[in-house]
Amino acid sequence: MSWVNVGDEKNLPQGTGIAAWVAGKAVAIFNLGKDGLFALENTDPVTGVGVLARGLICEMEGELCVASPIYKQHYSLTTGKCIEDANLQATPFEVKTEQGQVFVLAKG
Amino acid sequence: MAVTKPKLVVVGNGMVGHHFIEQLCGLGLNKQFDVHVFGEEPRPAYDRVQLSKYFETGSAEPLMLTSAQDYADWGITLHLNSQVTNIDTATKTLVTAAGDEYQYDRLVLSTGSFPFVPPIQGNDRAQCLVYRTIEDLEAIQASAANSKVGVVVGGGLLGLEAANAMKQLGVKTHVVEFAPQLMPVQLNDKAGELLCSKIEELGVSVHTSKATTAIIDGESALHRMTFNDDTFLETDMIVFSAGIRPQDALARVAGINIGERGGIQIDNYCLTSAPDVYAIGECALWEQKIFGLVAPGYQMARVAASHIASAVSDVKPSAFVGADMSTKLKLLGVDVAAIGASRGFDNAQFVELSDNQTGIYKKLWLDESGQFLKGAVLVGDNSDYNRLLDLYLSQDEIAGSAVELLLAGAESEADLKDTSIVCSCHQVTKGDIVEAVKAGNHKMAEIKSCTRAASGCGGCAPLVQKIIDQTLQAEGLDFNAGICAHFDHDRQALYHLCQVEGIEDFDTLITKHGKPSEQGHTYGCDICKPAAASIFASLKNHYVLNQDKGHVQLQDTNDAFLGNIQKDGTYSIVPRVAGGEITPAKLIAMGEIAQEYDLYTKITGGQRIDMFGAKLSELPEIWKKLIDAGFETGHAYGKSLRTVKSCVGSTWCRYGVQDSVGLAIDLENRYKGLRSPHKLKFAVSGCTRECAEAQSKDIGIIASDKGWNLFVAGNGGMRPRHGDLFATDLTTEELYLYIDRILMFYVKTADKLQRTSTWMDSLEGGLAYLQSVVIDDALGLNAELEQQMNEVVAAYQCEWKTSLEQPEYLARFNEFINPDAAPESDDSGYQRIRDQRFPAIKDAGAGNIAIRDITDEQSTTNSEEVVA
Repeated sequence: MSWVNVGDEKNLPQGTGIAAWVAGKAVAIFNLGKDGLFALENTDPVTGVGVLARGLICEMEGELCVASPIYKQHYSLTTGKCIEDANLQATPFEVKTEQGQVFVLAKG
Repeated sequence: MAVTKPKLVVVGNGMVGHHFIEQLCGLGLNKQFDVHVFGEEPRPAYDRVQLSKYFETGSAEPLMLTSAQDYADWGITLHLNSQVTNIDTATKTLVTAAGDEYQYDRLVLSTGSFPFVPPIQGNDRAQCLVYRTIEDLEAIQASAANSKVGVVVGGGLLGLEAANAMKQLGVKTHVVEFAPQLMPVQLNDKAGELLCSKIEELGVSVHTSKATTAIIDGESALHRMTFNDDTFLETDMIVFSAGIRPQDALARVAGINIGERGGIQIDNYCLTSAPDVYAIGECALWEQKIFGLVAPGYQMARVAASHIASAVSDVKPSAFVGADMSTKLKLLGVDVAAIGASRGFDNAQFVELSDNQTGIYKKLWLDESGQFLKGAVLVGDNSDYNRLLDLYLSQDEIAGSAVELLLAGAESEADLKDTSIVCSCHQVTKGDIVEAVKAGNHKMAEIKSCTRAASGCGGCAPLVQKIIDQTLQAEGLDFNAGICAHFDHDRQALYHLCQVEGIEDFDTLITKHGKPSEQGHTYGCDICKPAAASIFASLKNHYVLNQDKGHVQLQDTNDAFLGNIQKDGTYSIVPRVAGGEITPAKLIAMGEIAQEYDLYTKITGGQRIDMFGAKLSELPEIWKKLIDAGFETGHAYGKSLRTVKSCVGSTWCRYGVQDSVGLAIDLENRYKGLRSPHKLKFAVSGCTRECAEAQSKDIGIIASDKGWNLFVAGNGGMRPRHGDLFATDLTTEELYLYIDRILMFYVKTADKLQRTSTWMDSLEGGLAYLQSVVIDDALGLNAELEQQMNEVVAAYQCEWKTSLEQPEYLARFNEFINPDAAPESDDSGYQRIRDQRFPAIKDAGAGNIAIRDITDEQSTTNSEEVVA
């Protein structure tokens, strides 16, 4: 497991997500400004399609989430747990910035 | 070998006759019988209870309960304009006025009633009319046009309805009643007096205790009516509404038993004295009683249908056991209600409330012990009606003192028992409604369609709404108007706030009016953000992907990338093809672009072409090519105007009477880009053949030889709804004016994601209200609505053109921050079917149906070949 540099921080759009390739896997990185960066595997757990980066950011009872663009389930940005269905889980990734560069901790 | 089905004939296509047919179809009997229906009037069944609405709208359309098409769909033969003149009950044959003979195995007489015209000399003079059918209303309207003064003979329920109609037509109205008071059948003297003074305040003159002796030539008006007290009244028109008589003429001719004072005698199964002949509704006499209300007629219709069903299946027949004649209505705007023995009875106890200041009178009649409610009369305030009716019907002992019933107020109105009938037209109980709400039907329109409550006379609609709200609240569901956890406001309130305070961004909106989370987050959610985005766009029509105002983060899935996301995460692209008209050159250009990117192409229902399978990062370059070829965005991704469908119209079609394509293109170009609470679809048909199916659209226009007929709030989809005829024979200018106002009023008042069809059903006052707002400017809003539409139209932009002009806007179409790090093989797979590309992803979510190539059943390789 290692930290992968996916690019310049200024290329992250504000208040929404963008996907990044991390060791062959697509990871969605969400840039919530003062609330920090979050990362989940980009794959929508329901359809298996890589779209979570394009979801709408929501706050559900205090929990920051992304709504899948396909069938609108909400996934916690921190744990990846689905709010509506306990059987669904998006894999969370660790993400950090160092000297203006964005790093994601690769898995497996 | 053809099997002959038994024949079932229904004579009469009024409200009750039609209800019988609905019951029949509900039981599937239309499949087992060869059903023929004869109606004397030129139209199929319409709502006679709300007849005076005809004058509000000037059209019979809103009154219609059904159509000839419905009957055809049910496989029932409907003979309109067709009077049955004789029945031979021995040979089971009937004859029509046209001389045609029909056999029947079972016959249902639903001939209704006719207005009683007192035998007064001169009652057949010109402009002496009755009030029962739409043709009668047309005659009243025609007479009113050249009348200053009018008289209604009869101060009962129907007479006061007729007086209301006459007053609406601008005629100075008098009511002449034989009895010493108004509504002598239902009201006691005091109630009658109060009603009289209230009605006189409205400018209607009431003359009681007057028997008309003759109608002769007048001096200052067409007629002079002379009375038994040697007074007279001059008038230009007279409407007789002195009660109804059962229409039993046909049964008399046929030798079927008739009561002494008229009415076809029936037993508990609605069977008459003739074998297999039933009678239902106002023509029927049960235990010496005629029931002149629609609800008992509906009950008889159900009884007769179940009895017929019991002969051919194991349905148990129900019996007619009499009906409650309690009634609640608004007469000339005055609340009046009568329950049970509303005029009292010997030895009755009573409590009475007479409030001279507010003009309210209530009297309750109790049995000798004073413990059971036996009757009630209410004038000026009907809010206690449901509670009292419930107490009367259940005959529960009155808890506490009876006078408290008069003072309890309306809060407890929806506090009924589950078994209480809420909608007496369709016998829907409170329990039925509560169950339907719990099953997920939370909207009035849904409750109407699944329980039928409030779809008869509509009188119970406010109570039904209360029961819905109460149930939602009890279930802990989101009954309050707030659109989501972040706002206590409904969409209309948010729209108003944004408009009045000039709010143009979400942060301001949620900070000032919403509920940020405990951590101070102002992210909102996928309900309030797109709703806010739609409101901002409706008000200002700014570029939806605007970064400075943060609009881009508010947009829902499709708006966010100006494309329609598909199950494989790719997008479909729909350029605008206004009115469905496209040049060959543009068709070719589109075809070449689709071919280059291997896009699956399909013609849409809205007469344009959808191209599927574009990757997010491909969208800008594909759109660049489309715009260079002269296309613009079709807003297929937005809650906004989609298409204006059209037939080819008078330019080519030999039947077309107007240029429907030309109008469709102009309409589409005017309203394109208007963001609204939900998507909008229009259509224009060039003649009444209606090839563009305009009546199923939010805005439908059908050409007439004098102009355009405008329909609103139609819908296809899951809950189809025919549009309501809004106005007829409009000039093109008027048409645009009305559409501007209707759309902006919809944008202003609708709930989030509410289509025009449910919006219309949820508007209190419905079509007539919308007409008063748009045509008569009842709210004084029209100037604002027009100005706002003009601003939106002026601010139109092709969002793709704007995006392509600004490189920084295009950044969001970069799917990956580091595309160069992509693994070599993309894991997405496609298959080719019928020479086009389809996703071959694992089945999931909503669509679980395998795609199969049916063009070539032999070739299995074709459908399994996967192009990686």
